[in-house]
Amino acid sequence: MPADPKERTSAPEAARSEIGFSDAERKLKAYLTALWRLHPVMRAAISAPGQSPPRRVTFDGGYIRVPQTYADVQGCGVEPIFRAALAHVAAHLTFTRARWQIGTLKPLQIALVSLIEDARVEALAIREYPGLNRLWAPFHVAEPTGALVAEMLMARLARGLFDPAYRDQDPWVSKGRTMFFDRRLEWENAAISREIGTLLGNDLGQMRIQFNAKTYVVEPAYRDDNAGLWDWSDTPPQEMEDTDVVIESFRVRRTEDESEPHQRRRSQDNDTGAGVAARERPIDADAGVPVARYFEWDYVLGRKHADWTTIVEFEPRRASTVGLDRLLSEYADVENRIRKLIRSTRVARPMRIRRRPEGERLDLDSCIRAAIEYRGGITPDPRVYETSEMRDRDLAVLVLLDASESTKEFVRNTTTTVLSVERAATALLAHAMEGLGDPFAIHAFCSNGRQEVRYYRVKDFNQPYGAAAVERLAGLRGGLSTRIGAALRHAHSEIRGQQAHRRLVLVITDGEPADIDVTDSKYLVEDARKAVQELGHDGIDVFCVGLDGGGDSYLTRIFGRRNAVQIDRIASLPDKLPALYLRLTG
Amino acid sequence: MQLDAYLITDEPYYRAIGDEVSLFEMAYASRMPMMLKGPTGCGKTRFIEHMAWRLRRPLVTVACHEDMTASDLVGRFLLDPSGTVWHDGPLTLAVRHGAICYLDEIVEARQDTTVVIHPLTDDRRILPLEKRNELVRAHPDFQLVISYNPGYQSVLKDLKESTKQRFGGVEFRYPDPAVEAEIVSHEAGIDFGLAERLVKIGQRSRNLKGHGLDEGASTRMLIQAGRLIAKGVALPAACDVALVLPITDDADIRDALSQAIAACA
Repeated sequence: MPADPKERTSAPEAARSEIGFSDAERKLKAYLTALWRLHPVMRAAISAPGQSPPRRVTFDGGYIRVPQTYADVQGCGVEPIFRAALAHVAAHLTFTRARWQIGTLKPLQIALVSLIEDARVEALAIREYPGLNRLWAPFHVAEPTGALVAEMLMARLARGLFDPAYRDQDPWVSKGRTMFFDRRLEWENAAISREIGTLLGNDLGQMRIQFNAKTYVVEPAYRDDNAGLWDWSDTPPQEMEDTDVVIESFRVRRTEDESEPHQRRRSQDNDTGAGVAARERPIDADAGVPVARYFEWDYVLGRKHADWTTIVEFEPRRASTVGLDRLLSEYADVENRIRKLIRSTRVARPMRIRRRPEGERLDLDSCIRAAIEYRGGITPDPRVYETSEMRDRDLAVLVLLDASESTKEFVRNTTTTVLSVERAATALLAHAMEGLGDPFAIHAFCSNGRQEVRYYRVKDFNQPYGAAAVERLAGLRGGLSTRIGAALRHAHSEIRGQQAHRRLVLVITDGEPADIDVTDSKYLVEDARKAVQELGHDGIDVFCVGLDGGGDSYLTRIFGRRNAVQIDRIASLPDKLPALYLRLTG
Repeated sequence: MQLDAYLITDEPYYRAIGDEVSLFEMAYASRMPMMLKGPTGCGKTRFIEHMAWRLRRPLVTVACHEDMTASDLVGRFLLDPSGTVWHDGPLTLAVRHGAICYLDEIVEARQDTTVVIHPLTDDRRILPLEKRNELVRAHPDFQLVISYNPGYQSVLKDLKESTKQRFGGVEFRYPDPAVEAEIVSHEAGIDFGLAERLVKIGQRSRNLKGHGLDEGASTRMLIQAGRLIAKGVALPAACDVALVLPITDDADIRDALSQAIAACA
């Protein structure tokens, strides 16, 4: 029965009836990790409407896109083809060290160089793991017969290079095999692929055999489309899903070249030039909605400025989670540990409570103690029972992220920004909280003067932590300043409505409170301190994680010595944050 | 001597990786408390058995667990028809009679339990038995050794700083492939080439640590697999029994591991 035409348009839907890549993804990932220590980000490739679905794997650095299904492979199980394909990509990632410049190569030569390179990396991989031979061999089905067209000859050559027992009389195929196997000792060197491939390409050209690069599909099916082997810098790049990551890092690098954010704020006090303002607004230009006004505490006057700050809520942009996933995969170890911790703390466990004056059972230790005391002539302790009690968790948490300009700076010696680390840490923490079943919200803030304290709702208390929330988290961008007091007051009004025994606001910030319309650095610190005190009056705990090595003085001033912790190595934040959370709330 | 049963008479096989044997001997000479750190199945217990044999001291081993109380270490009064009798715990036994006391997986024990070792591990070397109103001075031969596995414990379980700082440390890790193959070949009684293949498989599984597995296959597991092979089991089946099935309940990871083993052989 033909399916509804609507359903046929999209690849994943069509594939739903059969087993596809997504079903096997976890297995395959573990397979690559075990054999090659690779932790690539893998995605099922989804075709744009109107286009045919991709037929081959494609990779770019550690990012692999895999067809959801292989339509043109029959006669073997589904999983072996994926495993063979990814083992092949892994061989590339391990043995193809640098990308080639295309230079003056023609499409046919590019295809042939890639083919030789495929054979070379597979030969090296089989040297290390002989069992891979059994994995790849079933896909080499080319026969030494048939028409002399480029595609067929190339499939025959591929088989010839893979399988030394294969017999093929074709002079071109034989030549390729001789050239390849003669240089067995140089297989470690990728340059031979280019050399042999170019020569074979010339031969094929002289044989006047047609080659159509547009319709060419790499054979055998498990091999990738070889896009990852070449440097396409002079050709328009393929649109990657994670372009925003690239763009973001580019943007950060650019702002670093300019003046320091702090200096910039100062300069704006006397210079209100439009150029500066424009530079300060790389953040989304979507209009926000003013939702609340709060007073601010002036420590000099010793009184409040009524209705001083305006909270403007913005819908956080959604972004692809590829970058976040990649960062998270680096912390897979931590995630596992957290998951285990959660498993042990999630259930309301019965706790054995000893030395009770009444209870279900006799406490043997207390009995013995009592008997000893009795015989020793001391009045025995009557508390000789033990009982069990269920300990329940009743807790609501609001995570408040600082998304100011300074979070766009790079973490020392790495290529990740402070904000990315914040995001990864928050994602890990959110996993933990979701697992524990604690109601939680994730909000972020930055400010642009007192009239525009921006507030982003990544996840609210009543929303589930699902794909949409992760996308919003991934979409957070750094910018503007840190007016923390106003944000805390808004967070206060948010968490106040939660019916929980314990309520906690967890602030993650990387810099001293500052804003463009404030010159006295102490002013915002004192205001934030006041806001923390107000939260305390309502029985809401506030805890701060500072990412600024030198921030001890003002963080202690705002949050109190016991409610602030400094993390010097920002890269360790994802490790520390959930642990800290569990300790705070456990 | 009371602890004859705890003496080790035959030499336990131990292949030194570095200078840990001589270092430990020096530490014992000054009766310095020692901690052995390292992943499971890498030879910590075998090492301490070997050292006890070398130093000709009885070895009292206590496997710590989270319900362990201080009384389980120190001893307790038991009730008998005539009243109560004191029964020395393993630690007290070792302290009185001069044994090496080995507390295995110390972090598993509750923190309030571990503090009983504090007076034993500084220059006082005493064990107060408060219930008996007795102060046991350590026998000159007594030494305390603890082991722990830093990776596998959760973030919340850690030694107290005040406990940690009383010990000298020896770190254990899985040995280099060649050495590990030598160990596997010796212990399992298989030839070196086969042992090398097992070690290669073991290393692949260690790559999965933190990515589906909490810990890769230990040297102990490889030896078990080797023993099965020595009895005539085929390599894939032996690895399945000794490595893949015990290490995880996760079907996906098990599958990945089996496939990785297939690729290695």
